[in-house]
Amino acid sequence: MTEAFSDQLVASLPRLRRFARGLAGNASQADDLVQAACERALTRQHQFQEGTRFDSWMFRIVQTIWIDQIRSHAVRKEDGEIEDERYGSDEPVRRAEARLALEEVRRAAARLPAEQREALMLVTVDGFSYKEAAEIAHVPVGTIMSRLARARVALVAQLEAGGGLRRSGDDAAAQR
Amino acid sequence: MQRPSDELLVAYLDGEVEETVALEVESWLERDPELRNRLQVLTESATQIRDAFEEILREPVPDRLMAAARGRPPSAEPATGAAILSFSAKLAGITARKGMANRRWGLGLAAAASLSFLVIGAGGGYLAGTGDVSIDGVQRTSTATSWLDNIAGYHNLLISSANGAETAVFDVPAGSESEKKLPTDIRVPDLKPWGLAFQGARKLVVEGKPAFQFFYMTDNKSLGPITITVTNTTRQDISPTFDKREGVNLLYWRHQGHGYALVGSADKGWMWGIANDIEFQLKAI
Repeated sequence: MTEAFSDQLVASLPRLRRFARGLAGNASQADDLVQAACERALTRQHQFQEGTRFDSWMFRIVQTIWIDQIRSHAVRKEDGEIEDERYGSDEPVRRAEARLALEEVRRAAARLPAEQREALMLVTVDGFSYKEAAEIAHVPVGTIMSRLARARVALVAQLEAGGGLRRSGDDAAAQR
Repeated sequence: MQRPSDELLVAYLDGEVEETVALEVESWLERDPELRNRLQVLTESATQIRDAFEEILREPVPDRLMAAARGRPPSAEPATGAAILSFSAKLAGITARKGMANRRWGLGLAAAASLSFLVIGAGGGYLAGTGDVSIDGVQRTSTATSWLDNIAGYHNLLISSANGAETAVFDVPAGSESEKKLPTDIRVPDLKPWGLAFQGARKLVVEGKPAFQFFYMTDNKSLGPITITVTNTTRQDISPTFDKREGVNLLYWRHQGHGYALVGSADKGWMWGIANDIEFQLKAI
């Protein structure tokens, strides 16, 4: 293993964890997923082509392992499984409220079908283009496009139903 | 063109439609208030979902993942030496945005005028009263060096941030008022003579205990930005020691209950000079 390869892997860990959290819905399974992806990447680093995007390659590995786990029923998704964050007991109330709102958004995302969550995480959260996301997910660009749209619409519906959709106009109205 | 569907609106928002299509969508938006509202809802939901996942980037990376990425068995990570650092606000989005740090270097001197100074007192206080943290690992062999690897890695992540100089990144931005939020035994070292401008401090968590990382920028490209991480420790003092991790240079030492790590891309001569200055100012030697 080259040091440079390992360095890239270490630097990717926060984003990989975020992507995995979006897929798996909870921290423990997500970190298991990332750990498995790291181990696989190290055994297959000869397959990585210099000059291509390392992050895309790693996301693809995470995605592949995740799909394998779903297919083998190794992962059981349970609602409400999103773990509480580690907040200090002296967390200011306003920050706690803000975090509860963020948690609600993550819960809404976790209720989406797996393939929609995947598209949402890749494009909306991690900023991959549709083409890049399609390559990572092993599907056509059009599929990413439609999955993403369904995810975004469903998310809006869930947040509106739960009163959690933040409106820029709300702040303005509150100030009037 | 028919009224744009949600799918098309989402693609438009994501910048994934041809220009001609974008113009048609905009034409619809101009004359269709309901469609504008729909676009706004989709935009805001996207912002919310990004915000919701952003803080995961600031969470500590577990030792087992650091070990896995290094190709080491988890047991090889020292039980007390693992650096667990959590990022501060707004740092989240930076990891995907590379190569912009140099553009920010020029901001350093501009911000220097508002600098105040930091000194970490030799006496007790906030850091000293919070228990031991893993600066202790610095004297170990290469298997016990994840603390240094992590310090260097998180230094690199901060430096790679396009927003690295923005005050929103920091728990304690530069400025006399905000710096009052620092523990009373902490002041900001004056590195202006080195052309280094203090940008702010980030509160880190090292094995569940608080630590501070101070960030300085400069327009001197032969020097580059630096960070100083301060922890507390109960181990005996050690003299400044030079090391190189994750492509950056480190100087670390312990003095009277505090551990210090100076991290940067500057060459060894610069690093020793700055470290000596810090030690002198902080009475940290």
